[in-house]
Amino acid sequence: MERCHERESIFPRALSAQGNLETLARSATMNANGEAAKAVPELLSPQNARLLLDSTEAFLFDCDGVIWKGDKLIDGVSETLDLLRSKGKKLVFVTNNSSKSRRQYAEKFNSLGIAVSEDEIFSSSFAAAMFLKVNDFPQEKKVYVIGGEGILEELQLAGFTGLGGPEDGKKTVELKSNCFFEHDKSVGAVVVGIDPYINYYKLQYGTLCIRENPGCLFIATNLDAVGHMTDLQEWPGAGCMVGAISSSTEKKPMVVGKPSTFMMDFLLQKYHINTSKMCMVGDRLDTDILFGQNAGCKTLLVLSGVTTQAILQDPSNKIQPDYYTSKLSDFLRIL
Amino acid sequence: MLSCSSHSSRATLSAFSHFLPTTSPYFNFSSLSPKTFSPTPLNFGWRAATAPKPRMASTFPARASAQPLQNADELIDSVETFIFDCDGVIWKGDSLIDGVPETLDMLRSRGKRLVFVTNNSTKSRKQYGKKFETLGLSVSEEEIFASSFAAAAYLKSINFPKDKKVYVIGEDGILKELELAGFEYLGGPEDGGKKIELKPGFLMEHDENVGAVVVGFDRYFNYYKIQYGTLCIRENPGCLFIATNRDAVTHLTDAQEWAGGGSMVGALAGSTQREPLVVGKPSTFMMDYLANKFGILKSQICMVGDRLDTDILFGQNGGCKTLLVLSGVTSLSMLQSPNNSIQPDFYTSKISDFLSLKAATV
Repeated sequence: MERCHERESIFPRALSAQGNLETLARSATMNANGEAAKAVPELLSPQNARLLLDSTEAFLFDCDGVIWKGDKLIDGVSETLDLLRSKGKKLVFVTNNSSKSRRQYAEKFNSLGIAVSEDEIFSSSFAAAMFLKVNDFPQEKKVYVIGGEGILEELQLAGFTGLGGPEDGKKTVELKSNCFFEHDKSVGAVVVGIDPYINYYKLQYGTLCIRENPGCLFIATNLDAVGHMTDLQEWPGAGCMVGAISSSTEKKPMVVGKPSTFMMDFLLQKYHINTSKMCMVGDRLDTDILFGQNAGCKTLLVLSGVTTQAILQDPSNKIQPDYYTSKLSDFLRIL
Repeated sequence: MLSCSSHSSRATLSAFSHFLPTTSPYFNFSSLSPKTFSPTPLNFGWRAATAPKPRMASTFPARASAQPLQNADELIDSVETFIFDCDGVIWKGDSLIDGVPETLDMLRSRGKRLVFVTNNSTKSRKQYGKKFETLGLSVSEEEIFASSFAAAAYLKSINFPKDKKVYVIGEDGILKELELAGFEYLGGPEDGGKKIELKPGFLMEHDENVGAVVVGFDRYFNYYKIQYGTLCIRENPGCLFIATNRDAVTHLTDAQEWAGGGSMVGALAGSTQREPLVVGKPSTFMMDYLANKFGILKSQICMVGDRLDTDILFGQNGGCKTLLVLSGVTSLSMLQSPNNSIQPDFYTSKISDFLSLKAATV
């Protein structure tokens, strides 16, 4: 698919069985004549929900806008997940929010009364560390982080040395002729994710590393413009911080989070399930649903997050999930 | 592609509709996904940031390579006005570049009008006037056009209603110019001290009367300001998104490069997935403004600058002569690199060459 190849330059492909994933992706979106299927998303109903359930072995959930909004659980989520587990379905959580590590996310789930283990969670913080690992990033090089604790923790777990992170949110900059802004010349990668502690110090540090350290990588955990960091409203996402660094360095980042299928490879290592037997459930078309489609999964859009029905049905929208429904707990009502 | 995302802002342009929003020619995100493009909120901001090679320059035939300046007199006699960039042309940080005072005096003595156009929005024209004075140059406020002034002038030119407010992500210069132009502003350096707490039940309010968000270089940049600006742009109907400039890096001190206004603008473009209206170079807004104000023909102007993608492109987009000086960020090898497609008419090492070259031809 032309689209996949063009994306290659900023979205790393899932590494194993690349061909298989592509074939699956193609078959998921083409009809018998080999033309791109012009599907219209089906509203989840008792009939199609049963079919969906029977043909799905693993449900992949986005978190913000699907499971919770900020620190508040969305109604009925706990019961729905219990129901799906009771029917023998595997539950996997795939989130672009890089502020926490997998371990920290497991803690969050537990504090909200949902039993989820670390290895059922695939966060973009984890993806960033894995990207460096699979690309043999030298351990003597350092990683400068514009983002949350989660990224630093995952880097450390993978054996890398991280600099920056939330700490640098307290640093200020002096713009005087005799003040020189130093940066560590051994930084070999800058990882950028959502950062509510963004400031000029970090922008300058990251910019100097990318512009002046030869071969320095520029990695983005994701490009989401805004997200539900709290229950009441949307807040600027990683797309904002990445936009800032991209502008000052005049470079494009490598994006490891959705819609890149990079994380799918790690998922497949744990769950040996054909992606056609997976259903991606998300609230965002250009990350969650696209991720699902690219990987050859079924896709279900929930309207409990950033996407409204109007946006879904707007003629300018070209991303059509297989199904849509208002929220996850509709499964309880329907089944 | 550019036009899709700027529909709503285009509708408000009146007299200056021809200058249109520009983005840096360095962005080439052509390989992005998704291929489908929609204004908001589905496309990544990047898609909208994809710029073809400079819009107006691409309508001209491929330019010949820049010529080293040999006959300074010929150039001087052929124009009536010289527009100078400041950083890297007149000064570097707080130090004057050699021979500048004598050169400016010579040009004035030959009846040339001198204008100074800078993308640096941290100071107002008045504050720049003081800087010139401190360096021993006699330049009046009216000869200075900083992008801070440009933002206020732009709002004036479109009759931005006085009952609407302007949210500023930027420094003092912008605030001063808005005040002088009679506009009410919010934000600025003060908001650099504001913190947010992302916890349940917390709602950040924003003034629904904000009709424009102006973004420029901001050393006090933080998440509060980004969210405030984002809310205004996304939720206040018809709210304008104006950028003073999109410079990637800038020589705030003479010792090194610093992340420029382009990064603050990039942040807002990323969160709003909208393209801003750019009032600073290479947009021709400031050139149109001063040509109009002083009643001069573009063909009678020579733009002198040290940066290809802002100064020289500005001059070319405006249809005037262009002279690149190598006393700032651009080196000869950068000019002559195969990756560079922006060719000024002439290049020389620094503006005082006007004096030495002139002497050589006598």
